[in-house]
Amino acid sequence: MFKIFIIEDDKGLVTLLQDYLHKFGYETRAVHDFEAVRTEFEAFAPQLVLLDVNLPKFDGYYWCRQIRSVSTCPILFISARDGKMDQVMALENGADDYITKPFDYEIAMAKIKSHLRRAYGSYAGGGTERSLTVSGLMLDVERLILTRGGDRIDLSHTEAKILDELMQKSGTIVTRDRLLEKIWDTEAFVDDNTLNVYVTRVRKKLAALGIMEGLQTVRGQGYRLTGNWEEG
Amino acid sequence: MKLFMREQTPLIIVYLAQLMMITLVYRLDGGSGVTVSLYAALLSTILLLGYLAYRYLANRTFYERLMTVPASLEDSGGPAQNTPLAASLRMLLAQQFRLYQNDLHNYRHKLEEHIHFINQWVHGMKTPLSVIHLIIQDKDGSPFTAIGDELDRLKKGLETVLYTARLDTFEHDFYVERLDLGAVVRSVTSEQKRLFIRKRVFPVISVESGISITSDEKWLSFVLTQLITNALRYTVEEGKFVHFHGYLQEQGRAVLEVRDEGVGIPPGDLPRVFDPYFTGVNGRSFQESTGMGLYLVKQICGKLEHEVEITSEVGKGTTVRIVF
Repeated sequence: MFKIFIIEDDKGLVTLLQDYLHKFGYETRAVHDFEAVRTEFEAFAPQLVLLDVNLPKFDGYYWCRQIRSVSTCPILFISARDGKMDQVMALENGADDYITKPFDYEIAMAKIKSHLRRAYGSYAGGGTERSLTVSGLMLDVERLILTRGGDRIDLSHTEAKILDELMQKSGTIVTRDRLLEKIWDTEAFVDDNTLNVYVTRVRKKLAALGIMEGLQTVRGQGYRLTGNWEEG
Repeated sequence: MKLFMREQTPLIIVYLAQLMMITLVYRLDGGSGVTVSLYAALLSTILLLGYLAYRYLANRTFYERLMTVPASLEDSGGPAQNTPLAASLRMLLAQQFRLYQNDLHNYRHKLEEHIHFINQWVHGMKTPLSVIHLIIQDKDGSPFTAIGDELDRLKKGLETVLYTARLDTFEHDFYVERLDLGAVVRSVTSEQKRLFIRKRVFPVISVESGISITSDEKWLSFVLTQLITNALRYTVEEGKFVHFHGYLQEQGRAVLEVRDEGVGIPPGDLPRVFDPYFTGVNGRSFQESTGMGLYLVKQICGKLEHEVEITSEVGKGTTVRIVF
């Protein structure tokens, strides 16, 4: 299990980050004493550090250098400053990456995962894999595979994203806006009609696994994955 | 020379009057003849001319200095010659210059502090924003959508404040590099996806591949975000598009056209849209218009040395063209 040390003075943000990281099986600790960051770091011995720039007493750059003098673990800055110079400063002081506030969980998570993978070998230690199971239907988000019982089917990237969102909220309605937002790619945007096409494809894939009425359309609101099919 | 003559005219008049008076007194006294008087007048006039010539030569640069308008603050060094008048003027000017400089320095300092404060403040606001953003991120449904929308507005507002404050210190804060135009456009449109989805107005991107431009990514993204915000704000109907068209001009310059299918800008307002705080007819009928968006776009493009043009037709839409 990976240990992540969070150096951030905003309690709300720390709590949210910790809750989210715990969901993925990481162990976390937040700094208590902003004058003894290095001591706490050494006591906890984390594999990765999330570090804010604006801190009481000393700034994040200072602590980054301090940590660098004793460790080579990945250090990710989380800061409200979005200037090029701030990022350069962070990297020059020994950071590995830079996330600007406000950020998405997904971006933070992707960066954490990629740095852990690079530093400690691919998928070593566990806790980074993510799969979802709803009534015997299992989605492997990383490998784009959907399985039920002994059957398995490959998904496209977009189909996996749609199923990911629907399965996370199975039993409740997921709005069309939400799905559009999730599958909007930097390369190509997705409009209403394209979403319809994707939803049809997802239905077909579900049908191929024997789930016929699993994905309901709720008029004017969105879609709902019922989850009340028989466990396969 | 002209100033000198004007300055000395009263002296010459007084001198002439004096000369005449003295001659008259001597004449009435019956002392001397006409020739003697004339001779005396000639001698004394030569003396005066000598004096005037000396005065002029001694103070020439001083007079020249008085006649020239200073081009800048540093220009008021004072006359070079060392006559008492010139020296005291130089001292006065120097003194005044120092006072002004002090004052100016104070104001500059205050302005810097103010900008620093704004910077700190905006960044301080971003943490609570991130917290709210993270809290609602996994939630779906109308109250959270509404909170998300408001959050986006707050974020945009803060960005505008930040960029307006930074505009004056632009030189310290930009980093020019080669950028792929298509990539920049796609990344900005993708960042604004919530807004597009909410308005049911979608981008159409047709940027010729391989167009690279020289610009600052952050400032350019801010400019594009402003244009997108405007385009979406003034597009009322759903199902319309915002077209991003990037191409190379005949002279080899890259052009990005952002064309919306919105309400358009009345011809009367068009020449003034780049003025600060100008909102025009549309600004009054649509909320949230600050009149700062296009002003900032123009200013930033100016600093980045991009040209920006706008054309519009009421009811058909507006096109903003950036020439790199």
